Amino acid sequence: MNSKARLLKALKGEDTDRSPCICPGGMMNMVVTALMEKANIHWPEAHTDPIKMAGLAKAVYDYGCFENYGVPFCMTIEAEQMGAVVDLGSTIHEPHVTGYAIDNLSQWEKLIPLDPYGKRAKVVLDAIKILKQQDDHVPIIGNLSGPVSVAASLIEPVDYYKALKRHKEDAHAFMKFVTEGLISFGKAQIEAGADVIAISDPSGTGEILGPRLFDEFVVTYVNQLIDGLHEINPELPIIVHICGKMHKVYQELNKIRTVAHSFDSIVSIKEAKKVMPGKVMIGNVSSFALEFADADRIRVLTQKVMDDGSDIIAPACGLGTKSSLENIQAMLHIVQQSSHEA
Amino acid sequence: MAKSKEELLQQLSDCVFEMEDENVADAANEYIDAGYEALDGVLKGLVDGMNRAGQMYEEEEYFVTDLLVCSDAMYNGLEVLKPHLPLDQDADAVNYKCVIGVVEGDTHDIGKNLVRIMLETAGFEVYDLGRDVPLISFVEKAKEVDAQLICLSTLMTTTMPGMKEVVEMLEKEELKDKVKVMIGGGPISQAYCDQINADGYAVNAIGAVTLAKELVGMA
Repeated sequence: MNSKARLLKALKGEDTDRSPCICPGGMMNMVVTALMEKANIHWPEAHTDPIKMAGLAKAVYDYGCFENYGVPFCMTIEAEQMGAVVDLGSTIHEPHVTGYAIDNLSQWEKLIPLDPYGKRAKVVLDAIKILKQQDDHVPIIGNLSGPVSVAASLIEPVDYYKALKRHKEDAHAFMKFVTEGLISFGKAQIEAGADVIAISDPSGTGEILGPRLFDEFVVTYVNQLIDGLHEINPELPIIVHICGKMHKVYQELNKIRTVAHSFDSIVSIKEAKKVMPGKVMIGNVSSFALEFADADRIRVLTQKVMDDGSDIIAPACGLGTKSSLENIQAMLHIVQQSSHEA
Repeated sequence: MAKSKEELLQQLSDCVFEMEDENVADAANEYIDAGYEALDGVLKGLVDGMNRAGQMYEEEEYFVTDLLVCSDAMYNGLEVLKPHLPLDQDADAVNYKCVIGVVEGDTHDIGKNLVRIMLETAGFEVYDLGRDVPLISFVEKAKEVDAQLICLSTLMTTTMPGMKEVVEMLEKEELKDKVKVMIGGGPISQAYCDQINADGYAVNAIGAVTLAKELVGMA
């Protein structure tokens, strides 16, 4: 079974010869410094050049890290397209927002609508097209930052979070605007050739919002986003990653209209499987361990995640850029071995 | 009948606890007009309300968004009470000073802001360097203001190593014993804290206050 067929089947909850081992990209960073050196393609250049972006994404697969391609390598493009100021970072640091687009949530109408075909959004689309031309049965994952995370990159997050409680009308209008932008970017990624879309919404964690606001803002707008993307292809698999503890919001999480959920290492896959029947679990090998433990420990942790019932093996969060290739390869290796034992 | 001091203090505390950020100023004015001590209004009223909110947060009945609105109410109340505080109140007291910020490369500062609020509530003099802070700035600021504590926060795995560098800078300048380093944020753990030789890790903003007090020896 090839990597693409395996992942697409696993994302639907269908039987496969073994679990896939992936790292989506976007917030879920899978690029480490050692890989940049091997491929001789570096950040920050790879954030702005489609050939380099595609090259680095391909290196992730070619050097035996993960069984997918994924772009981009940051979660700032959407906010940048809508007016936020972004520092592209360095070889070590990811791009990050340094200036907000608006001072007050009521100014949301001043925001620039997201142009999916301009600037760095276009870099992502072109990179996807280059990867698609490989035609090599490696699944391409296009990444979107989730609605709450993008919103909290356009305005000072403290003001944003308070507005969710205090200025609901403006907050919903703003979220709708952001979500529409994300739909247009996601659709363009699918048209360019993405096989899967992964939505990561770290700022939408239940730990910050609590169950009521999680339901009102995360569930509502992630679902709008999913429905929008499915207009192009109702079958397109969508992964949703939300950070942090989940035990307060499982019920709400079940309302999200996708099958595939990815979790942080703090979440017990065993527990999540019990309270989210019928969902496909992705995760959650500690990215902390991938950076700081040795390969033997990674083999043990990966095996445990598989034993706990994770359907698709992946890091729990974005990789630290100083993680070793040896550790990442150890994770993939143990997953690949599992097919021989089964 | 006029309200008693206890009733007015309760009212101040409730305004913070129940997130009445728009009514708290009236409650504070009522308290001052009745002639009661501003310091009690702060400590037994506003700060008490914030501590109750912190308790609810620990019990997972309140969330970060709730605490942010509670803190707005607390600061709105403080604005009214502050001009009435006696000027020499801290003449003999030790000032516990703390430098806080999000390490270089990261701009996620919601956790840091919450810790700052709770530290201020607990009586620390807090110097907030903001986010994406050059690592050397933490050390420089701590030296400049003679701080006993540096609090470092990050949400991203890619920026965690900056915390280690701050600890190393302090060691190099032989300040490690004098200035304690406390770390926190999404990917941070006690294991990482031990590994980089920081002085403490707190899992959330409430834990951060307990830890901070412990580290500086605040009663």
